[in-house]
Amino acid sequence: MPTVVVMDVSLSMTRPVSVEGSEEYQRKHLAVHGLTMLFEHMATNYKLEFTALVVFSSLWELMVPFTRDYNTLQEALSNMDDYDKTCLESALLGVCNIVQQEWGAAIPCQVVLVTDGCLGIGRGSLRHSLATHNQRSESNRFPLPFPFPSKLYVMCMANLEELQSTDSLDCLERLIDLNNGEGQIFTIDGPLCLKNVQSMFGKLIDLAYTPFHAVLKCGHLTSDVQVFPRPEPFIIDEEIDPIPKAINTDLEIVGFVDIADISSPPVLSRHLVLPIALNREGDEVGPGITDDTEDENSANQIAGKIPNFCVLLHGSLKVEGMVAVVQLGPEWYGMLYSQADSKKKSNLMMSLFEPGPEPLPWLGKMAQLGPISDAKENPYGEDDNKSPFPLQPKNKRSYAQNVTVWIKPSGLQTDVQKILRNARKLPEKTQTFYKELNRLRKAALAFGFLELLKGVADMLERECTLLPDTAHPDAAFQLTHAAQQLKVASTGASEYAAYDQNIAPLQTDFSSSSTERM
Amino acid sequence: MKIFSESHKTVFVVDHCPYMAESCRQHVEFDMLVKNRTQGIIPLAPISKSLWTCSVESSMEYCRIMYDIFPFKKLVNFIVSDSGAHVLNSWTQEDQNLQELMAALAAVGPPNPRADPECCSILHGLVAAVEALCKITEYQHEARTMLIENAERVGNRGRIICITNAKRTFLSSDSHVRMLEDCVQETIHEHNKLAANSDHLMQIQKCELVLIHTYPVGEDSLVSDRPKKELSPVLTSEVHSVRAGRHLATKLNVLVQQHFDLASTTITNIPMKEEQHANTSANYDVELLHHKEAHVDFLKSGDNHVGGNSREGTFKETVTLKWCTPRTNSVELHYCTGAYRISPVDVNSRPSSCLTNFLLNGRSVLLEQPRKSGSKVISHMLSSHGGEIFLHVLSSSRSILEDPPSISEGCGGRVTDYRITDFGEFMRENRLTPFLEPRYKMDGSLEIPLERAKDQLEKHTRYWPMIISQTTIFNMQAVVPLASVIVKEAMTDEDVLNCQKTIYNLVDMERKNDPLPISTVGTRGKGPKRDEQYRIMWNELETLVRAHINNSDKHQRVLECLMACRSKPPEEEERKKRGRKREDKEDKSEKLGKDYESDKPWQESERLKGLLDREKEELAEAEVIKDSPDSPEPPNKKPLITMDEMPTVEKAKGPMSLLSLWSNRINTANSRKHQEFIGRLNSVNNKAELYQHLKEENGMETTENGKTGRQ
Repeated sequence: MPTVVVMDVSLSMTRPVSVEGSEEYQRKHLAVHGLTMLFEHMATNYKLEFTALVVFSSLWELMVPFTRDYNTLQEALSNMDDYDKTCLESALLGVCNIVQQEWGAAIPCQVVLVTDGCLGIGRGSLRHSLATHNQRSESNRFPLPFPFPSKLYVMCMANLEELQSTDSLDCLERLIDLNNGEGQIFTIDGPLCLKNVQSMFGKLIDLAYTPFHAVLKCGHLTSDVQVFPRPEPFIIDEEIDPIPKAINTDLEIVGFVDIADISSPPVLSRHLVLPIALNREGDEVGPGITDDTEDENSANQIAGKIPNFCVLLHGSLKVEGMVAVVQLGPEWYGMLYSQADSKKKSNLMMSLFEPGPEPLPWLGKMAQLGPISDAKENPYGEDDNKSPFPLQPKNKRSYAQNVTVWIKPSGLQTDVQKILRNARKLPEKTQTFYKELNRLRKAALAFGFLELLKGVADMLERECTLLPDTAHPDAAFQLTHAAQQLKVASTGASEYAAYDQNIAPLQTDFSSSSTERM
Repeated sequence: MKIFSESHKTVFVVDHCPYMAESCRQHVEFDMLVKNRTQGIIPLAPISKSLWTCSVESSMEYCRIMYDIFPFKKLVNFIVSDSGAHVLNSWTQEDQNLQELMAALAAVGPPNPRADPECCSILHGLVAAVEALCKITEYQHEARTMLIENAERVGNRGRIICITNAKRTFLSSDSHVRMLEDCVQETIHEHNKLAANSDHLMQIQKCELVLIHTYPVGEDSLVSDRPKKELSPVLTSEVHSVRAGRHLATKLNVLVQQHFDLASTTITNIPMKEEQHANTSANYDVELLHHKEAHVDFLKSGDNHVGGNSREGTFKETVTLKWCTPRTNSVELHYCTGAYRISPVDVNSRPSSCLTNFLLNGRSVLLEQPRKSGSKVISHMLSSHGGEIFLHVLSSSRSILEDPPSISEGCGGRVTDYRITDFGEFMRENRLTPFLEPRYKMDGSLEIPLERAKDQLEKHTRYWPMIISQTTIFNMQAVVPLASVIVKEAMTDEDVLNCQKTIYNLVDMERKNDPLPISTVGTRGKGPKRDEQYRIMWNELETLVRAHINNSDKHQRVLECLMACRSKPPEEEERKKRGRKREDKEDKSEKLGKDYESDKPWQESERLKGLLDREKEELAEAEVIKDSPDSPEPPNKKPLITMDEMPTVEKAKGPMSLLSLWSNRINTANSRKHQEFIGRLNSVNNKAELYQHLKEENGMETTENGKTGRQ
């Protein structure tokens, strides 16, 4: 989940904060202090997160495009100038554009808005934006809700009392509401000082930037892992089951399936599964981009030499072209597989299926998947040349069952032509002739289109008269028979127009009698 | 997302009154004369469909699309109305398919134009429709049973699509419509009262009434269109006035898209062999319908390729995607964010059936977004799974996981001797397969196949070393017959026999002194001696078998055989005994716990694994222990093996460092340059006993001291 930090650099952010016994602080400094803490946390514990920095006043500017280089972000914090007034709407619009350009509309993003709770005045102020919210057309839509899945965290360099004294808090709350309730407002507890800013950002870190640790299990083989990005809780049905479901911290492998069988399934999200070595204090030593501290390097080297189940699993999945099916919670599953980023680098990746008993129709119900050793004979065949997947649905779809649709005249004409073509090749095509004839008959009966039956009967009678002298005598018999059967069906009388009853070919025997006739 | 929205239940009410037998006055030429046929034949007169036929085939088309895209959880109840209501099917899933409906419609047949119009009415059907909406579906029932105390969360909404002709009612259009609406409103009110006191019925929370007035082409409509309007909190109603024939079909096609949130994609540039000239091919387009989520990227970014709106269904909104001819059949795991069932708009047309047949034969097709700029963006994929075609949405935006650290850089990444092939074999043995028939356990309870799969993984991993240098037995072909069956839940007598054979075979190998594939990684010199190798191997095999002895008596028999066959030369026996004594002192507590653990074989196996490791260490120590001061009695004097030249001080402390190797060498070299001390020459295993005269008086103490010194 990429992060966009949106920093208010309007003049009001330069308001001084009285901090006893030290040099004068501005709210801006508190904000920088908090963000520094956030960036430091991410640089050590959340290294793979992409973060961008946007500053805004009445205009907005992308200071740092999405990066994992937290030094650059840190530097940018110290290079911010002070500008004019706060104009949130344009900044949020800017965030929309930046995120969509970089990630499209499907990837969830976290937006961290850092402001002092002075929301501007006049046109472009949040108050003004909200007041005009209902009078907007599609072209000047308010940027919230964001067009991508998002969380909006508002970090206020002000305490609750201060915000409540104006309508700032109400406005900010409406902002979160407009984002479909996705987000949260943080305020400073107690007096404005570095310590309280730290604790506020600490809460944000706890909420949104703590690494997700889990244990990957395959029977007795286990590995401690970090799952990145953090899997988000999911709401299955807002009405029946409105409580968001989170995944287990025990990721239990239940079995394996070939890549061809799992067949590019739809997934909610993808995550890296990075093995970690937990030391005594519970801190992790492990994944991430190479760090310069030597301590960590040597620790990494030691961890690198201890056999790890993830590496084994990854290697075998890659070689065999398989995925491991993993249970994430009650009726929630996912898959583990090897994902190659380039030719050299590959990784263990986990994708989450949509929660539910049957996330992939072609695998069937997950609970009904069992070990092949329980089957009477190996469903994959002795030579591994077949597969029990995909499961066939009970009913075929319309495109797989030759349905009859006569909405366009061409549909009807094609079906009549088919009968006619076969009629001219009687008796060789007797089977197909009757097959097509019965298909037409069934549809005509269902649609109550009896006139068609009569029409086709007339047509077949005419064909009979047009038969060339060289025609086989059976042709005339079959045509007459078919025409007559259609005629009686066209009366709609129940004894002739039964849907399940087919017109059967007339039983003739020309092989024995033909010589006599000659 | 709501399962029980209005589209969960759709009731079709189609008018079957005599006036529906009237012609739609749209002619169909069915007798198309083929070229090069005898001239002079007058084609048969064109025929025309009745209002009834038009209504039925349009509603069937609605159902066809709906069933294709939502084969489950979206249900249709079909009712025809004349002198009474005829309910053609139920909400059960078995009734939900075109064949059932077609058969039922055939049984009803076309309306009888000579029936008495006075006793026929669409109202019968509308009343029956409300009744049907109150009936609980199996999905609603299931959800209610599951939620128990929250059962009220299960909604009951539905839609009534009523196709009728208002011509013969002698009422003005507005009052006719109002009469139908009032009827539905009142019936809902009544039935909701009934449902309140019933377990099998549910109150209707929301009902959408879609009234479609259809009339012959060329006539003037008596009814005017009216957009959706809320009549009461429970009922909304809309009115459509449509000419029969293809206009009605188009209308229902638009409605099915609205009702089920569908969108249209046109696949363009499909190369197809010409019917007439098989060696040439032309490019065709095929339009598909699917859930609109498949266009989520276009919808949100406002990046529609085709503008226009679908208000009248005349100008259709469709997203055009370009066919990319598949080059290989290679299986790839694409990052797919959604997969949606499709339905071709024109199912029987040649281009449609060519496309669907191609896909049903197992090929996948990538679809490309036509972009003005040159870059090629693959955004979708068409693929069939078990006879169903899905439109997969592929992620085409930048990945947030790009440039991740390689697995070789992380934990365990530097280890190079993982048993990759063996684990691959393990995975293949632990593949999954569907068990559709319910199975029962011995106690009669339902067996969940997935739990069986987990069980099997548990059994198969009780003893599973991850790297080659951690194991001996799994590197030996000779052990395979035993290792492959011992993990089974139940063994046959033949399996036991095979295990025994394997063990005898190993005994044989030991007798012949065959080499074992013991890893020398991390051990000094040439590694352990042959007999020690066998000891390691037997110990490991014992660990494996012990991990499974509680599976069955047969497993126990294998262990018995193993224990009986393990050759233990007296010397080793003794060494072991001493080793055990030492161990006694080291971890008494662990020993005590042993008996209690025996019902948990896997824990045991863990413990045994530990034991095994320790024994490996002991190996190095064994020789030393023999003569070290803590030995209670010196063993029978035997010539010392390899030790005599080496200073053993370092040795007693486990693995040898490079430093000690180096100093050993230097010492040996130096020793040649000077005369050896008398004491060292007379020493036993490089240890000279000092103050030998004291031994008489104080011998016991010395040994005691030695022992404490070691610990």
